[in-house]
Amino acid sequence: MNRLELKNVNFKYDKNLVLNNVSFAIPNNTFFVLLGLNGAGKSTIFSLLTRLLNLQDGEIMISGSHIKEYQKALSSIGVVFQEPTLDLDLTVRQNLYYYGSLKGLSFKETLVSIESELKSIGLESKLDVVTKELNGGHRRRVEIVRALINKPKLLLLDEATVGLDVKSRFDILKYIRQLVKETDLSVLWITHLFDEVENSDGLAIIKNGSIIESSNVSHILQKHEKSSIDDLFDYLTKKVHK
Amino acid sequence: MIKHYNCAKGIIYKELLRFFKQKSRFFSALVRPLLWLLIFSVGFKSALGLAIIPPYETYITYETYIVPGLVGMILLFNGMQSSLMMIFDREMGSMKILLSSHMNRNFLLFCKMFATAIVSTIQSITFLIIAYFYGIEMSIQGYILVIPVVLFSSLILNAMALFLSSVIKQLENFATVMNFVIFPMFFLSSALYPLWKIKDSSILIYNISSYNPFTFIVEFIRFTLYAKFDFTNFIIVIGLLIFSLLLAFIGYSSKNIFKKGNK
Repeated sequence: MNRLELKNVNFKYDKNLVLNNVSFAIPNNTFFVLLGLNGAGKSTIFSLLTRLLNLQDGEIMISGSHIKEYQKALSSIGVVFQEPTLDLDLTVRQNLYYYGSLKGLSFKETLVSIESELKSIGLESKLDVVTKELNGGHRRRVEIVRALINKPKLLLLDEATVGLDVKSRFDILKYIRQLVKETDLSVLWITHLFDEVENSDGLAIIKNGSIIESSNVSHILQKHEKSSIDDLFDYLTKKVHK
Repeated sequence: MIKHYNCAKGIIYKELLRFFKQKSRFFSALVRPLLWLLIFSVGFKSALGLAIIPPYETYITYETYIVPGLVGMILLFNGMQSSLMMIFDREMGSMKILLSSHMNRNFLLFCKMFATAIVSTIQSITFLIIAYFYGIEMSIQGYILVIPVVLFSSLILNAMALFLSSVIKQLENFATVMNFVIFPMFFLSSALYPLWKIKDSSILIYNISSYNPFTFIVEFIRFTLYAKFDFTNFIIVIGLLIFSLLLAFIGYSSKNIFKKGNK
């Protein structure tokens, strides 16, 4: 069973078709990248997956549950939004408590569930720091750890490294990849940055609301005889444009 | 069930934390009605003579008359402030965290409104305590009964505010709402003057004020403070609660919120 499966998803904002027959699947234990330029439809897909938008046409299955059975489907996901979503006036601990409660956990259960993640990402000593005193990289780490509170099977991250310095970007990427290796987590990493894609990743490239290629990165590179992601992206997007 | 309890507890916890951390919010919410009580009423009490009208059994001072209306004012402005924060949260993204939870969305919204209602109730009780020391005393029974009534009334106003926040696309439009919704709602009610006084001056304004939902809320609080019960008014406020909750839930359904441009 795939962790996430989109089948023939169409979506319109008023009369504008912004997603056109979008289909892709993320198997268990996979780091999967959805790559596309700004305005390609990535955030619309993210909003559909998190039920901020209603599915209009097609099918979205999360860990075997249809998105319309959202109480089941959404209980197995963790989410990191593109915009900062922490309450800056509260401490890290208070932010975590709040999010845990939205997942139905008690305050005690919340901290127990992410004890090891807090240690490994270096946030253990910052639990009682007011969030506005943290730098951008640390705030993002808090959001990532927060997304792991309910032990999700699928982690969704929308442009999670935007606005961070290069070191923080790659530290976060490394941490997420490590999680995929060490646990049975699957990740949907939405980005427009080519350098965040590795050959072992799953990949879907989106342009103007359509998926123009979807498979394993090395397989796609081989298929189109390209050596790098930016060459491949350039080639595919131009080809579609023609 | 335990998950729902934890969820409600977390939402209320966050709202209370925000409230206690933003002390200026607490004081500004109190200053407004206190200005009316301590300054405005002094100037108006000689100009406005009050006849004996239910629930009062004797002549009362103008300050005494406006206290329930000023409690209503706290609830109204607090509800609107929370709605303003919802727009801010939506623009900043933290609203997405709440609405992307796997819990039932209407339950989440209800918890959010209830949490704000608790904050409003704390402020209202503080105001009533200050009014007591100013010399405006109610019955003990009234003080006890008014707590759930204020909580209930606040829920109605919070639900209306939540609905408004769902239709306001940008924070800048909130000033328009203040001028066209909140002030008319407050002034076209029985909060500051009894309806029969308005009737003497303008039948039209009287008719509008008689059907203003805020009038029913203020009268509900007024009667309760004197440990009296008006059944018709009670039925109307129950209807108002159901209607305003429905509006809020529809306003925040996935179909209507986070549309492009609403993000």
